[in-house]
Amino acid sequence: MRIARDLRRWSVSYAMLAPALVLFGVFMLFPLVQAVRISLTDSTGIGTADFIGLDNYSRMLGDPTFWRAAGNTGLLAVVSVPTSIAAGFGIALLLRDRLPARGLFRALFLAPYVISGVVVAMAGRWIFDENVGIVARTLAGWGLASPDWQSGGTAAAVSVFVMLFWARTGLVVVLYLSALQGIDSDLLEAAELDGTSRWQRVRYVSWPLLRPTTFFVTVLMVIEVFQVFDVIRVMTGGGPAGSTEILVTYAYSQGFQARREGYGSAIGVVVFLVILVATLFWWRLQRRAEEDA
Amino acid sequence: MPRNPRPTRRSLLAAGSAAASAAALSACSGFSTGSDDPSSGTESDTLTMITWAGDAEAQAFQALADGFAAQGGPTVELQVVPYSEVLTAVDTGLRTDTPPDLFRVSYTDVAAYRAQGVLANLADPSSLEPSFLPAFWSAVSDDDGTFGIPHHTDTSMVLVNTAAVASAGLGALPTALDAAWTWEQFLDAAGRVQPSRADAYAFAVNWQNAGAYRWLNFVDQAGGRLLTDDLSGVAADDPGMLKALTFTREFFRQGLVPQSSSARGQPASDLFVNQSVAMVFAGDFLLSEIDAAGFEYQATFLPRDVNASADLGGNALVAVEASPNKAAALDFLEYCAQAQQMGDFCAAATVLPTRTDVDPASLDYTVRPDLMPLFVEQATTIREQLVEQVVVPDFSAINQQLADRLDEAFLSSDSDQDALAKLVAGIESVISS
Repeated sequence: MRIARDLRRWSVSYAMLAPALVLFGVFMLFPLVQAVRISLTDSTGIGTADFIGLDNYSRMLGDPTFWRAAGNTGLLAVVSVPTSIAAGFGIALLLRDRLPARGLFRALFLAPYVISGVVVAMAGRWIFDENVGIVARTLAGWGLASPDWQSGGTAAAVSVFVMLFWARTGLVVVLYLSALQGIDSDLLEAAELDGTSRWQRVRYVSWPLLRPTTFFVTVLMVIEVFQVFDVIRVMTGGGPAGSTEILVTYAYSQGFQARREGYGSAIGVVVFLVILVATLFWWRLQRRAEEDA
Repeated sequence: MPRNPRPTRRSLLAAGSAAASAAALSACSGFSTGSDDPSSGTESDTLTMITWAGDAEAQAFQALADGFAAQGGPTVELQVVPYSEVLTAVDTGLRTDTPPDLFRVSYTDVAAYRAQGVLANLADPSSLEPSFLPAFWSAVSDDDGTFGIPHHTDTSMVLVNTAAVASAGLGALPTALDAAWTWEQFLDAAGRVQPSRADAYAFAVNWQNAGAYRWLNFVDQAGGRLLTDDLSGVAADDPGMLKALTFTREFFRQGLVPQSSSARGQPASDLFVNQSVAMVFAGDFLLSEIDAAGFEYQATFLPRDVNASADLGGNALVAVEASPNKAAALDFLEYCAQAQQMGDFCAAATVLPTRTDVDPASLDYTVRPDLMPLFVEQATTIREQLVEQVVVPDFSAINQQLADRLDEAFLSSDSDQDALAKLVAGIESVISS
C-alpha cells in the first residue's frame, strides 16, 4: 500500500516536472554532451570522425589566436559589465522618480535589448563605417578625421563596445527599476527623517538591499558577454587583425568556416567551463557577503 | 527514516539528469555520412537539390529542373538557402541520414566532401571529360574518379569607374591579355588615380568574405606557390610568396586601398558600388549588382608578373553517394553538363561555361554582354598549378588561416619577412592537424 502511495506521489511529481526536464535534456544537456564528445574528435562536420583525446585542448594552449580571443573576451567583460551595471543602476534611480513621460523613457531604454542583435549591428555599421558612416560624415563636416573604426583595433573595439552597451543596458535598467520599486518606502522615509542625504540613502539603504539583484545582473551580464556573437560578427567579423575576436566568434569561425568542428567545439566547452566557474565563484562571494551581513 | 519518503529536489534532478544523459549518450554512436547502402533508403520520384541562388540563378536552376522532367526524368525539387547556410544544410542532412540527392558546392569545398566518401562517382566520366576545360575538370576529379560536374566558372577582373579615373590619364585600358598591366604598371596607374573625396581610394581587392584565397593569384602571378609540389606542406621558402606579400602590403602602405578593405574587412564590391574606390577586383557574378549602381564602368585584366593568373571561381554540381536516388541524380548531373543546358544557365546567371564547346560570345548575356568576352579571356589564365592547391581537403581551414593572417599582415607594421613567417606558421598549424 505504502509503495503504491509513494509511487503515485512520485509519478505526479515527475509528471509535473517532465516537460521542463525534457526541454532541459533536449535543448541543454544533450547539446552539451554532444559538444564535449565532438571536442574529443577531429570532426570536420562531414563524415566520420576519429577520437583524438585531448588534442584539441592541447592545441589551444599553443594557439595565439585563441589566447587573443580569450584576452579580448576577458577585457570586454571587465569593461562592459561594471559599466552597464553602473549606468543601468543610475538610470533606474532617475526613472524611479516621477519624471514626466517616465513610461516612454523606460520603453526607450529597453527597446535596444528586445530588437534583434543583427539589427543593432547593422545600425552600428551605418553609424561607425569609417568611410561613409554617420560619425565619419559628421566629423568630416567639421573638418575632423574619422577614427579608423574598421581598420584600427582600438577604434573597432570601442565601436563594438558602444553598440553592446546600448543594446544591453536597457535590461539592467528594467531589473534595477523593478528591484528599486520593491524596496519598502518606509525605510527610505525613515532614513530621510534621520537627516540622510539622497546619496547616503542610495549608498547605505538602497544599494545593500539590491545586493541579490546586483548578483543576478552581474552573472547575467557576464554570461551575455561570453555569448556575444551577432553584433561582433556583423560589425567587424572579429577584425581588424583579430582585435575584436572573442571566444564565441572564434569558435564559430573554426567550427563552421575552417571546418574544424572538433576544435570549435573544444573552444565552446572552454567557454562553458569559464562561465560555470565564474558563476560559482560569484555565487560563493555573494553567499559569504550575506552570511557576514 | 521518514515514513513517507517524498521526492526531494536533488533526487528528482538526479533522476532527470540520468534520463537525459542516457538519451544523449545513446546518440553518441559516431558520425554518419548517411546510409552507406543506397538501397536502404526509399527511392523517390522526386530529387532534392540544395543550392544557394540569386533570383536569376534560381530561375536558371528551375529551367534545368523543368527541362529534365520534360525529358522524362524525375522532378527536381530545389531547396534554395542562403550561401552561408548551404553547407550546414547539407551536413545536417548527411548526419541525420536525410541527405539531399544533389547539391551545389564551390570547387574549394569539393575535396572535403570527397575525402569523406560523400560524393557519388560519375558512371562514365570519359564521355564528358574531353568537352571540359582541364583546370575545372581536375577540380572535381582525383585518381579514383570524377565526383561531380564543373557547372560553371567565374573569375576576377579589374573594374574601373570611368568617371573616377577620368583625370588620371590612364589612356585606353588593356583589352588583350598580352597587354595586361604589369604589377609595376598597375601600381603606377593606381597611384595616378586621384580620389574625388578625402574618404575615397584608388582601388580595393576582393579577398574578403572567404575570398582570401584570391590572394594566391598574386602568388601565382609571381611564379610562387603556397603549398609544396606534393601539396603536403607549406612552401615556406618560396620567393614568390614573399614577393606577393610585399606587393600586396604595398597597397596599404601607399594608401591606395582603404585600410578597411583588409582580408576581414568590408567587401570590395560594396566599396566600389558606394564609390569609395575607383577600381575594384571583382568577379563577373557581381556584374548585375554593380550594374544596378548606375554609373559607367569598364573592365581590364588582372595585373600580371611572371605569370598571368586568375582565381578559380564558380561551382560544381554533385550527387550524394548515399542517396537512394543516386542513379537519377547522376542522370540530372549529366543533363546539366550538356552544352545547351550549360549555355542557357550561364547566360541567365552571368557566369562562364566550363565546356570548351560553349562559346561565351554566342550566349545571350543580359548584363554587360560587352564585358563577358574579357572575363572569358581572363578565365584562360586559371592555371592548374593554382587549382590543385585550392582543392585540397584542408582548404577550408587553410582559407580561414589565410584570411586571419593576411588581415594581420596588411594592417601591421611587421617586416615583410616576419609577416610571412606568421602566415606560414598559421597555415602549417592547420595542415599538420
